[in-house]
Amino acid sequence: MTEVPVKIEFNKEWIVTKLNVSEDRMVIPAPINKEILFKSVLDVSEKKNILIITVKTDTEVVYKILSVEKVLQFLKVRILPLCNAYRLMAYFMSPAIRGGVMIKEAVWEKGSVVVVKSGIWFVGAVKQISVPITEVAAIELTKRDVQGKPTEVIRIDYLDSGEVVSSLVLCPISTLQVLYNFLKETTKSMDMKGTELDGIDLQVAMLVYSGMDSHATENMLNLPHKQLDQIYDKILALGLAEVVIIRREIQLTPKGVRYITDASKTQTN
Amino acid sequence: MGKILIVDDTLFMRTLIKNILFTGGHSIAGEAGDGEEAIAKYKELKPDLVTMDVVMPKMNGIEALKGIIAIDPAAKIIMCTAVGQEQMVKLAIKSGAKGYIVKPFQAPKVLEEVKNVLAT
Repeated sequence: MTEVPVKIEFNKEWIVTKLNVSEDRMVIPAPINKEILFKSVLDVSEKKNILIITVKTDTEVVYKILSVEKVLQFLKVRILPLCNAYRLMAYFMSPAIRGGVMIKEAVWEKGSVVVVKSGIWFVGAVKQISVPITEVAAIELTKRDVQGKPTEVIRIDYLDSGEVVSSLVLCPISTLQVLYNFLKETTKSMDMKGTELDGIDLQVAMLVYSGMDSHATENMLNLPHKQLDQIYDKILALGLAEVVIIRREIQLTPKGVRYITDASKTQTN
Repeated sequence: MGKILIVDDTLFMRTLIKNILFTGGHSIAGEAGDGEEAIAKYKELKPDLVTMDVVMPKMNGIEALKGIIAIDPAAKIIMCTAVGQEQMVKLAIKSGAKGYIVKPFQAPKVLEEVKNVLAT
């Protein structure tokens, strides 16, 4: 048994306590008084420094565990290999690309890929990376040069703090195909025909991807504001983007014109 | 901040990269639409850095990269290619590329890569 200090959310309050963690279970002392077998954990996710686990006993109970990174890492390393999930041994490279830029120091790490209800985990000895399903943008079978040979890998693109990140998974081809099919099924709701946007719409969407604002987009594509607005509406209606800010264009009233005229006089005198 | 030559066969991508670089405070030395033009412009303009598309007509980006490195072994070139062509990375790096970006890309990361390569 290893004792680790944590805070656990209980009855909408954070309780300071110590978890007793063994190979296959952990015990939460009073007032919660609960023994959790890792094999009964249905879901594991992470938000900043909070580990969220869903445990199936008679009903599903969600525990939020807050602690320092070192403790959370210890818990993840214990829980993820035993929890109720689709799991396979694999090599992974995460992140391999961030914002379109290849990460030069990225290396293949030996570990496992764990697919739980809410996301995908890359579990290595040093790092455990969580990718929520809701943040997954694309899953693709592609080829990568591995030890001088073009090798099939799965590329998973996802959003991490607004940045598009790509991670790669490498394992035997038969397992790779099973994992690919599984992940594709999980993200099926995002599948589209690919013909929803035409030339100019696609260019606008690509500029949004690159971080261009509406002003820059209008200038770059020489688009009238009204047309850009219509394209934005189309992209929004397809669920491909969301509104983050509404800019306003204003025109001075006679009162405003007088104010500015007076202000200019004061400045020039 | 650097003086940058943008090489890409599509006007849209050149305009996008140009805008991103402007927002980062860089100046544009020039633009080229294929590999042959890139080599000619490099000789003429002596830019601090080149962003080079891989798939282009006449002469592709890898050939142009080799051509520029033959003229100036210290040339700083960032290769730029579409998703799915990442296997070109090894060849490009072996041929002398200092960085590699994959389309579509996000402006802050491109500027970070440009800054890193300029600092080498």
